[in-house]
Amino acid sequence: MKHDYRLSIIMILVVVFSVSSLFGQQPKQNYGKATDEIFPYQRYQKAYKYFFLEPLNFYGAGRDKVAPKDLNEVRIAFLGPLEGSVIVSLGKQMLQGATLAIEEANKNGGYSGKPFRLMIHNDVGLWGAAANEVVKMDDEKVWAFIGSIDDIVSHVALRATLKLEIPMVNTGDPDPTFTETNIPWAIRVITDDRQSAYGLVNQIYKKDGHQRVAVIRTGSRYGRVGIKIFSETAVRVGHPMIIEERFMEGEKDFKTQLERIMATKPDAILIWGNATESALLIKQIRALGFKQSIYGSDRVVSQDFLKIAGSAAEGMVSTCQYNPDSDNPKLKEFRANYRKRFGMEADVFAAHAYDGMNLIIASIHKVGLNRVLIRDVLTDRKTFQNYKGITGTKTLDQTWNNIADIWIAKVNQGKFSFTPAVPMDNKQRISSKSADY
Amino acid sequence: MDKIIRKFTMRKYLRYYSVMLGSVILMFVVSCGNRTPHSNSDQRNKSATDNSEQEAVENYHAGSDLAGDTKPLPIYGNWHNFTTKDGLPSDKAYCVRIAGARVLVGTHDGLAVYEKGKWTTYTTKDGLPHNGVVSIDVSAVTGDVWIGTLGGLSCWSGGKFETFNQLNSGLPNDLIYCVICDQKDVWVATAGGAGHYDTYSKEWEIFTEKNAPMHEPWTYGVSAGAGKIYIAAWGGGVIEYTSKSKQFKDYTDPDGEMEIDLLPDDGIVHDVTTATSWANGYLWVSTYFGLSRYDGTHWKGFFDHDCGLASNFINFVRAKGSVVFVCTDRGLSCTNGRSWVTYKKNDNNKDGMAVVLNYGRADDDTKNKSTREIPLSPSISHNFTIGVDADGDKLWVATSQGVSCGQLLK
Repeated sequence: MKHDYRLSIIMILVVVFSVSSLFGQQPKQNYGKATDEIFPYQRYQKAYKYFFLEPLNFYGAGRDKVAPKDLNEVRIAFLGPLEGSVIVSLGKQMLQGATLAIEEANKNGGYSGKPFRLMIHNDVGLWGAAANEVVKMDDEKVWAFIGSIDDIVSHVALRATLKLEIPMVNTGDPDPTFTETNIPWAIRVITDDRQSAYGLVNQIYKKDGHQRVAVIRTGSRYGRVGIKIFSETAVRVGHPMIIEERFMEGEKDFKTQLERIMATKPDAILIWGNATESALLIKQIRALGFKQSIYGSDRVVSQDFLKIAGSAAEGMVSTCQYNPDSDNPKLKEFRANYRKRFGMEADVFAAHAYDGMNLIIASIHKVGLNRVLIRDVLTDRKTFQNYKGITGTKTLDQTWNNIADIWIAKVNQGKFSFTPAVPMDNKQRISSKSADY
Repeated sequence: MDKIIRKFTMRKYLRYYSVMLGSVILMFVVSCGNRTPHSNSDQRNKSATDNSEQEAVENYHAGSDLAGDTKPLPIYGNWHNFTTKDGLPSDKAYCVRIAGARVLVGTHDGLAVYEKGKWTTYTTKDGLPHNGVVSIDVSAVTGDVWIGTLGGLSCWSGGKFETFNQLNSGLPNDLIYCVICDQKDVWVATAGGAGHYDTYSKEWEIFTEKNAPMHEPWTYGVSAGAGKIYIAAWGGGVIEYTSKSKQFKDYTDPDGEMEIDLLPDDGIVHDVTTATSWANGYLWVSTYFGLSRYDGTHWKGFFDHDCGLASNFINFVRAKGSVVFVCTDRGLSCTNGRSWVTYKKNDNNKDGMAVVLNYGRADDDTKNKSTREIPLSPSISHNFTIGVDADGDKLWVATSQGVSCGQLLK
């Protein structure tokens, strides 16, 4: 009998736990993988409303729309900076990555014997031009598109995407607010600046033990939005940045800003900007005799930066959305094919564009030529959840933002070396998600 | 012996099975008990669906409205739906505007005009700059129809379409998300900024982050009221422009965070705004995160968990008198700030219901709160509502799959 009771208790426990996992709420992770320590207001006040707890569905019509039978090609669009922008070199890498994915898909027979065709659109940040490009894509009857790198362009395209209902896969814009707009027509496969900021805060303040960190950033939206999360997070861990200086894109002499920074006697400096300005800055900082740590944003992880900065870059630490030196055989194959096809090394934008385009192609193979169904399968967080791309595993959160782990990149003997960023400690999680009003 | 062992084993398994089943039932009951108030009210409401449409309306009494009177919220029924089968150029309708005896509908494939029971379509062949018609307004001064398309702005006057675009005018961007007429002025919301066109002087002004308190120049809605223009700026909340003094003021979410609304009623619920509408001294602001109302002093927030709002994802709002019509992705909601009526279509047939939520007395939310479902046959053509307009006893709704016209039920 004793044996019976013990067995009964075990059975009850098994049933209770299995049923609670069926009907009960799974422990919720804070939005953006934020610890309670760094989640807004969490230590002082529960919010009345928490957004992004559940993914939004698209409730509009269109799932029963049949594709035209007279198609002789399957169009997928590209939106990226190809001319008239300071980040054209990044745009060209992105285009090449997307092109390689299309060419490989066509070698494998396209879609039901019809070739994929890339419809190329240049983006310009001025006067909302990206909106006009998305309208052109609709006129061209594309099934989906990838884009872009510039955050202004990506936002403008995103709003037009909702209106015109074209699935959008973002492969190069790490602006956290992009997916925080709640538009159920876009996913992002590149890890965002929120993760980069958390990684940097952990590295700078908790691992490296700095306390007086000065920041100099680009005045563009990339700098403004990127530094926001870093700044807020730094405050929440008890270390507000001691000074925030700005520079314009294309600026070459930073003497005035650096004089102000040096006057604050920082024990580390963080640069948030494009590769060229960041490289010039680090040279000028070292020339002033500053020997302590210098950190940078993700765009410094490039050959351009290493070339311009030279030996001044030694020891600089940044973040990267993937590990280019990974042993992943698919990544190695991609890099070899890319080198052969385009005569250069693939960068982060090329690799993510390749992954993003392959996701679109896989979606079309899965559900056919219907924009809503392509959207559905891209966003269902089942079919492609934890998709193994060449840039790593793609884990989409409730906003369809990739929250895969970030990498720390450090310049060592003229090259970047990569190690996984250590996640923040999350011992003080707050379980409840509702406030009493 | 085998029989005895089998019997014993069977009994043992039956006991375990009973324990397991009991636990499952217990957990199910507990989990049902933990469902949201919405789910509970949904269950309760099912008993109210037997009444006929008219009988249900006759039994309905709404609570006091914003002005404090006892005028009930209007309820519309006898819905008539229109699709391509009825003459629309596309099932995907972006906007609708009632202009006297005509109804103007913007669709993905052209402008549709309903007059005397017939639809007439206008496209680029007739002079429109683009077939995708996103927004329409009619000038109260001239009667001209201003049409915002995916590829430029058009003024339809005297049977002719005059096109304004980025190349031939001061239009900030060719994709017009919203156009409104305010006396002699025409305002447009675009991703390149807000545009103002003076029809007398023929001059354009553009407002962006360079000359207005916007975070970005991305504007998606605009409305006018009491000498002011209210611009819905994506990521920048609402920009208020006083026409007389030419001064700006911005309203943003006080907590400054995208992932939360920290306090109820402390300001606009989110900075990603989609539309504004002003009437009766109240500014209504829609977002993809909920609805806000501003009376010039206080903000009030509305979410789908704390009122009768169909969904927090709101495409468009239009206020008429004390009532605001809210186009959400899960039905059309109407409110005066206290009582709610939401029109929803069933998933599997053309019928649906009007869900009526009354909060009773204005001074006490707990008294006389009631929910009712009025069956509608047919209902609106689709729950993904994008545009709305009301005039007299008619309510027109533009949806993801057709256009609907409802009749005010007496």
